[in-house]
Amino acid sequence: MKPLRAAIWRLFHPRRTIKPTRDGWWCLLVAVGLGVAAINTGNNLLYLLVSALLALIVVSGILSEQAMRGLALTPITPEELYAGRPALLGATVANRKRWLTSYSVTLELLAPDARALESTSRFIYFRRIEAGTDRLATWEQTLPRRGRARLAGVRITTRFPFGLFMKAGRPALTDEVLVFPAVRPLPAESLGRLGDAGAPAGRRRGRGNDLYNLRPYRPGDDPRFIHWRSSAKAEALVVREHEADTSHDTRVVLVGRGRAGTDALEAGLSEAASLATALVRVGAGVELAGPDLFVPLGHGRPHLRRVLTALALYEPAATAAERAPAGPPVDGTSLGPRRLREIRVPLA
Amino acid sequence: MSALLALRLVTYLLVATGVAALYGAGLIGPVGAGLVVLAILVGWGHEQARAHGAVRPALGYGLVGAAAVAITVDLLYLAYSLLDGMVHLLLFLILLRLFVRRGLRDLRDAGLLSFFLLVAAASISFSLSFLAVFVVFLVLGTWMLILNHVVTELEQAGREGAVGSSTRRVFFRGPLTRVSLVAAAITFSLAGGLFFIIPRVGQAALPLRAQLGRMVTGFSDRVDLGSFGDIESDHTVVMRVYLTDERVEPAALPELRWRGVAFDQFDGRTWSSAVAPRRFVRRGAAGDFGIGLPRGAGPLLRQEIFLEPMGTDAVFGAPRVLRLEMHSPTLVVDDMGGLTTSSATARLHYLVESELEEPGRPLAPGTRAAPGLTAADRARYLQLPALSPDVARLAREATAGARDPDIAARRVGEFLSTRYRYTLALRRETTRPPLEEFLFVRRSGNCEYFAAAMAVMLRSEGIPSRVVAGFQHGEWNPYGRYFMVRLSDAHSWVEAYIDGRGWVAFDPSPRGEIATPAPGPVSLYLDAARMRWYRYVINWSLGDQVHLAATVHRQATDVRLGLSWPRHWRVAPALMGAGGLAVVLVLGWLLHRRGGAGRAAGPAPSMPVFYERALRLLARRGLSPAAAETARQFAARVSTATPERAEPFARLTRHYEHTRFGATALTETEWQDVTHALAALAAAR
Repeated sequence: MKPLRAAIWRLFHPRRTIKPTRDGWWCLLVAVGLGVAAINTGNNLLYLLVSALLALIVVSGILSEQAMRGLALTPITPEELYAGRPALLGATVANRKRWLTSYSVTLELLAPDARALESTSRFIYFRRIEAGTDRLATWEQTLPRRGRARLAGVRITTRFPFGLFMKAGRPALTDEVLVFPAVRPLPAESLGRLGDAGAPAGRRRGRGNDLYNLRPYRPGDDPRFIHWRSSAKAEALVVREHEADTSHDTRVVLVGRGRAGTDALEAGLSEAASLATALVRVGAGVELAGPDLFVPLGHGRPHLRRVLTALALYEPAATAAERAPAGPPVDGTSLGPRRLREIRVPLA
Repeated sequence: MSALLALRLVTYLLVATGVAALYGAGLIGPVGAGLVVLAILVGWGHEQARAHGAVRPALGYGLVGAAAVAITVDLLYLAYSLLDGMVHLLLFLILLRLFVRRGLRDLRDAGLLSFFLLVAAASISFSLSFLAVFVVFLVLGTWMLILNHVVTELEQAGREGAVGSSTRRVFFRGPLTRVSLVAAAITFSLAGGLFFIIPRVGQAALPLRAQLGRMVTGFSDRVDLGSFGDIESDHTVVMRVYLTDERVEPAALPELRWRGVAFDQFDGRTWSSAVAPRRFVRRGAAGDFGIGLPRGAGPLLRQEIFLEPMGTDAVFGAPRVLRLEMHSPTLVVDDMGGLTTSSATARLHYLVESELEEPGRPLAPGTRAAPGLTAADRARYLQLPALSPDVARLAREATAGARDPDIAARRVGEFLSTRYRYTLALRRETTRPPLEEFLFVRRSGNCEYFAAAMAVMLRSEGIPSRVVAGFQHGEWNPYGRYFMVRLSDAHSWVEAYIDGRGWVAFDPSPRGEIATPAPGPVSLYLDAARMRWYRYVINWSLGDQVHLAATVHRQATDVRLGLSWPRHWRVAPALMGAGGLAVVLVLGWLLHRRGGAGRAAGPAPSMPVFYERALRLLARRGLSPAAAETARQFAARVSTATPERAEPFARLTRHYEHTRFGATALTETEWQDVTHALAALAAAR
């Protein structure tokens, strides 16, 4: 049953669509008009011209099909997308035909709003794609809001050979993606807050400034970290290892619930995301807590993605009853084995 | 050469081809065509000059304004017909586009408008030269369209800063040129096929305004002696007679002639038929004109006649015409069997069925006797002007006392053909009447003199006779199985009334003495091509299509019978059908596998099956996610549209987001919830 259903589905959702251009409509109109004139007068030379127009339409279909056939569109999306920041998207168009070149192929970006495309045309034109080769096209697109978003897609089109009809393939790059909140350079006051109170935790290796350890050089180590004095003493290369800035392990606390769709909420989430990113970059651990969400302390990029995902999907519940149970309270009274320094980010 | 320059060049050539089509159709004369070509050249130069800023715009606009006024006056007052006026207007618009060109669009419009020049020519022309123009136009037109498409796309890409348009040059031996030539070849082939199969609604109509051609003497209701002298030295082909019955051998028809008009009155210098009674014949229900009934005196011959435009309204055919198929509402028939029609286009192609009567052969038993002559008719065909008594004496000498009109007529014919000389040099040497000068002084003349002399001599002997003008059978073209009849084949002969047999043709002129150069194979081939053009393109009709379909069916049947397997090899039809279906399916599968075009390659969208099913369930209710709508937004829309489905679909959406963005599998409990939610979604009313 499933193949049958798939066949029926394909029947109503063809691989390619075809639409006359303005010139194409004129061509059809003239063909019909000439056809009427030919029937009316019985003049065979008019029939000949009508036949030529109809043949031109058929040849247009054949050649455009030849241009589209065997083309494969492979979309390329970045791993992380941030609201308001241009993202580099791309696609490769491969001509998988064995012999025949595809002429005049256009990659059409289906952004619903042209302003979303950063300094990029909606049309990327390839004059020819030789058999067995592929072409890469990239463009920048800005997604304005955090959260789930569906990419409008990209498709291959061609008006080859006569510009009478536009043949288009199915859109690709139409997945639903997650857009993280906007991450911006932190303002000075926020950077200052990074030095707020908080108990130092145990030492561990990281990217801080304090010396953690000296050890023999291993291939791949950064030569800038060679400790020359110790190397001279040991008569072997010795490198410095730094201590992580564990003193910067931070709990980012979202204060207030915020109101959906308000600038204050978005600005707060953006600040929280920016803080988390800055902290993780310097090796600090980040814990995220708020009225309806909690991400426990963690380090590194995978953890940062968890934090950003939580921030991206955050939506303030309309009523208290809908509020989901979150992490521990944020007043710092029961934080477990150790206290973290807190940075409070207001949402409303 | 840059793509833009190539486009300009091809567009200008396309316009020039359209002008050639107009010239070939006679819609513009040589002076007009020269002026337009000059304007095109000036347009090209003007564009170059404009590129260097050498032309003042005011001058250009002034010229355009003056031309517009001239064209308006022409359309309203000067043009020969509305078609001529429209053609002039079209030419003006094209040249205007070329002169004030601001962008690609103007160039493209000029190229596309030139197609209508071809349309205008098609309504007038039926010459083979149209085919040549059509082919050139097709090649240039496809090339222009491809170049226009490429240049437009390049311009758009350049304007919008897209990638992938590094090269903008085309070469005449480059791939685009090859593609264009292939496209033109395929278009031409397909157009040919479509032309023959597009259903017609009846007989082909000939051009709206057929050219009359030059007036031809000898085929009106009055003809002076010696008027054939001019045209008998003109070797232009004016008529082609195709014998539809392939079994007929032309060598077996040496006496074949194409009869035109007959004359009964002679005043000593001029033959006329002014007093002959005429009647209008209307086309019958079968679409043909019934002219006469067969008498069984000879074989039937069906001829398809293609006439070049000639300044005569006579309809030609092998005598005696029984039936005529012609695209004309009425036909005029005089009582001497002369056929005329006033429709210039209808005369260009018609079908004639004749009963050939062989003068020398005795009538077969059972032949229906010809109707007799009334006394008035007998007097009419014995009318003579005042002539010298020498003429009657010469007639008595020629007949040598024969009483039987048939024998007497033969003797007169033999007398003239043996004792007189055929010549086209018709100088007057005396002041005597032309016929007497021919008979007694010059003793040489062309066919008109021979025919007039014989008719007069027969009348002076009491045998009713008349002079007939027409054509000899012409040269047989074996490449097209038809007779090529030239103007120089124009001929006169005599019909004498023989009791019991009716009107019998006699030809006293010894034309065989004049040697005419035989056409070479190349000219025969070219003429056969022209004939095929008339036969299979200009005159292609519903009847031809039916005939073609019957032929194809017959040949297919022959092939099928030829390829049929022995009876004991026959496979059950059901098995054959199943085999055919299997072949179709395999081919379809192979094609489907090969054609990946336009599909997004790479990983398929990771939509969970349960969510896909939920979307299908909602799609049946007319609810589908929009292009840029997220799952949650869609769920909100569903809850508004169908609140009864809101809760289960919200659960499904939550599970979808969990699997899609959580990157973890659903637990057993969650799967159970998915199942319940799907069931609830399906059951909701």
